[in-house]
Amino acid sequence: MIELLNVTKSFSKGKEKFKVLEDISFSVNKGEILCLLGASGCGKSTLLRLMGGFDLPDSGSIAMNGSKVSKPTPDSILVFQEFNQLLPWKTVLQNVIYPLKVNHKYQSDQKRREHAEKYLEMVKLEGFYHSFPHQLSGGMKQKAALARALALQPSILLMDEPFGSLDALTRQSLQTVLLESWDKTGVSIIFVTHDIQEAMEIADNTLQRPRSIGSSEYMKLYEKLYTILCEK
Amino acid sequence: MMCIMKIKKFIWIFILLILWQITALSGKVSPLIFPSLGMILKAMVHAIIQGELLSQTLFSIAIIIEGLFIGAILAFVLAIVSRMSESLNSLVETLITLAHPLPGIALLPIIILWLGTGRASIVFIIVHSVLWPLLLNLITGFRATPKVYSDVGRNIGLNRLVLLKEIHIPASLPYLISGFKIAWARAWRALISAEMVFGAVGGKGGLGWYIFKQRVFMDTAGMFAALVVIMLIGILVEEVLFERVEVLTIRRWGMTEK
Amino acid sequence: MKRTIKWIAVLLVLLLGINTGCSKQAPDLKQITIAEQYGLAYAPLQIMKELRLLEKSDANLLVNWRQMGNTAAIREAMLAEEVDVGFMAIPPFLIGWDKGMEWKIAGGLSSSPVGLVSNRSEVSTIKDFTESDRIALPQPGSVQHILLSMACEKEFGDSHKLDNLLITMAHPEGMNALMAETDVTAHFTAPPYLTGELKSKENRLILSGEEVMGGEFTFIVGVATKSFHDENAEGYKAFIKALEESISFMETNKIETVEILSNAYAISKEEVEEYLDTQGVEYAAKVQGLDKFADFMKRNDYISKTPASKAEIMWDDVYYED
Ligand SMILES: Nc1ncnc2c1ncn2[C@@H]1O[C@H](COP(=O)(O)OP(=O)(O)O)[C@@H](O)[C@H]1O
Ligand SMILES: [Mg+2]
Repeated sequence: MIELLNVTKSFSKGKEKFKVLEDISFSVNKGEILCLLGASGCGKSTLLRLMGGFDLPDSGSIAMNGSKVSKPTPDSILVFQEFNQLLPWKTVLQNVIYPLKVNHKYQSDQKRREHAEKYLEMVKLEGFYHSFPHQLSGGMKQKAALARALALQPSILLMDEPFGSLDALTRQSLQTVLLESWDKTGVSIIFVTHDIQEAMEIADNTLQRPRSIGSSEYMKLYEKLYTILCEK
Repeated sequence: MMCIMKIKKFIWIFILLILWQITALSGKVSPLIFPSLGMILKAMVHAIIQGELLSQTLFSIAIIIEGLFIGAILAFVLAIVSRMSESLNSLVETLITLAHPLPGIALLPIIILWLGTGRASIVFIIVHSVLWPLLLNLITGFRATPKVYSDVGRNIGLNRLVLLKEIHIPASLPYLISGFKIAWARAWRALISAEMVFGAVGGKGGLGWYIFKQRVFMDTAGMFAALVVIMLIGILVEEVLFERVEVLTIRRWGMTEK
Repeated sequence: MKRTIKWIAVLLVLLLGINTGCSKQAPDLKQITIAEQYGLAYAPLQIMKELRLLEKSDANLLVNWRQMGNTAAIREAMLAEEVDVGFMAIPPFLIGWDKGMEWKIAGGLSSSPVGLVSNRSEVSTIKDFTESDRIALPQPGSVQHILLSMACEKEFGDSHKLDNLLITMAHPEGMNALMAETDVTAHFTAPPYLTGELKSKENRLILSGEEVMGGEFTFIVGVATKSFHDENAEGYKAFIKALEESISFMETNKIETVEILSNAYAISKEEVEEYLDTQGVEYAAKVQGLDKFADFMKRNDYISKTPASKAEIMWDDVYYED
């Protein structure tokens, strides 16, 4: 459903150009969870932004359901690591309802509200509908962001280390919430993390040998990782 | 906390008033320089009953609101224009660099030639003194909007105009409010000094004109009465109006550092 | 709280200090500070300055000159005892006297034509003004304003009739506004602005000061504070003497006078001559027109009382003419 073919992206630092992504190809099928694992600074966020249409690749192509990704769409929602991705001037409920309104989901406010509440309930945020984001803990903020993303019923969630700034316990409960929600909605997820542990919890339990990703250097690295994971 | 601060302020005001009165009554200074509180109060009551001070205050406030309104609209338009392209942005920044340091009063002779001596000229000066600080704050506010807000906006399908209205403007509200605070103070200063130079327009004048008239007729107590009115309005707007707005918006939303 | 109280004590001390400081200011040895405004109506003062007549008249006197932007500023400086002698028109002097300022007229300085000029051909008397006209003049309570009010009283029986049309402008700005054909359609002014404006064909004189007053009157008078007059009697005498000398020098040494004034004002000799020859321009120590101003201003509540005797508003020996 999302397919990357020979994607390359470089940034210029002063006068120099340096490649961040080189020749990346892979695809994700409907309902799959793919974890992108890598040390910080290796280009995970860059890749995710390309997939979301926030930036364009230098060469290669990214296609979603057969059509080229050229700008962000509500059909693939990016969830960030930053806690302040909620709009501070809207309550939790309004934060979820507003994107529905923008995208003309449902005719009546009542329907939209019910829909939003359903997803807030799914991420276990009952009782905080009318709180403002600054009144929430970090974990609750990420839950709300997840609810906002899921409520739009996108085909794919692009999650950029969404639990990276949380303490271990909270992270675990959010991982559970995420997997439950995935179960209920069947959304495809690309989940970026630098934490192997987390990747193991989140990724589809059937670990497959990775399809070819990136350069040969990467492949070697991947092989190593793969053996570690499989041994477990 | 806030409450204690306020009480302290009141205590200080009270002390200053007492010191004023002691000085006035000491007999060492002429009442033409230092009128007593009683004289000032009498002058104020007299001016209010005569109807002059009140109507002139309203006249001043009306002009300021008009100037603020026009200035705010222009500031928004220019801020939006400056976001449209790199060269338009540099045009707007050049305009700010050129115009911002110019005191409105220095423009007065030219404004008289262009617009005459009517209300329009005073409004022009107020717009000038309000526009640039507002614009500067708006642009800074837009720049300071966290990238993640606009990413979220783009992701849910907002176009550029809606993005501006629904994301950038609320996100820069703290800057906008402090811009309006500066603008309000500048507008007052501009108005009072313009009126003191211009005098009345068509028989109607504002507080600046009132002060000027009291000055030429040597009514020092009357002059202070007008100053007190200006201070009271300042306190009312700063401590009540802006305070309310902040409590209802940025403080409620946790968008202040405090 | 204890700290606060300490602060109050400090403030009190400061304030009392200021107060006593003020009252001790007076007995500065042998100084005179004279304030004037810009314009040829103050010509004898330029002569006095240039020829150092005041210094010659009293060798021990330290003389300071101040040029100020408007009468109100001079009055305030005299109130603060920063200026001993100030020059101004009669109405602002009377307003200060009425408010309790301790000052009196020391002598006349000059007479000058003043007049109301309009650039609208439909306006030939003040009766022709409409709501949309704007009359520029220096400030309320100025001699120009009082003269216009007098004319209004005569013409309409209401001295405030045209107050709604007034606009406050210094002479040069007023002239600019009239010549540039902005919304200002009339200007109450004195030479050289008056003569300058009347040179243009569009402008005409619709009212003159002499016409309103029904005779000549002193335009600028010198006013001395009580503290200066009482505490520095010799300085005061020297000042009066120098003033008289300046005026008589102007009468007897025309060529030198023109040269000095041309330098002092940075204008050509021809312009100075033209001004000095203007009908109605006169320099004299006598004071004229005081009663008429005082009566009118009392009648129309600009002041609350009229002087009961000349001694109330003039120092001794001032030559007065009704
Ligand atoms: N807009 C940009 N301009 C220049 N360099 C960038 C930009 N975005 C990312 N980079 C660089 O690209 C590299 C990869 O960044 P990123 O994708 O954020 O890494 P990760 O998310 O894996 O930690 C980093 O070296 C970063 O400095
Ligand atoms: Mg990253």
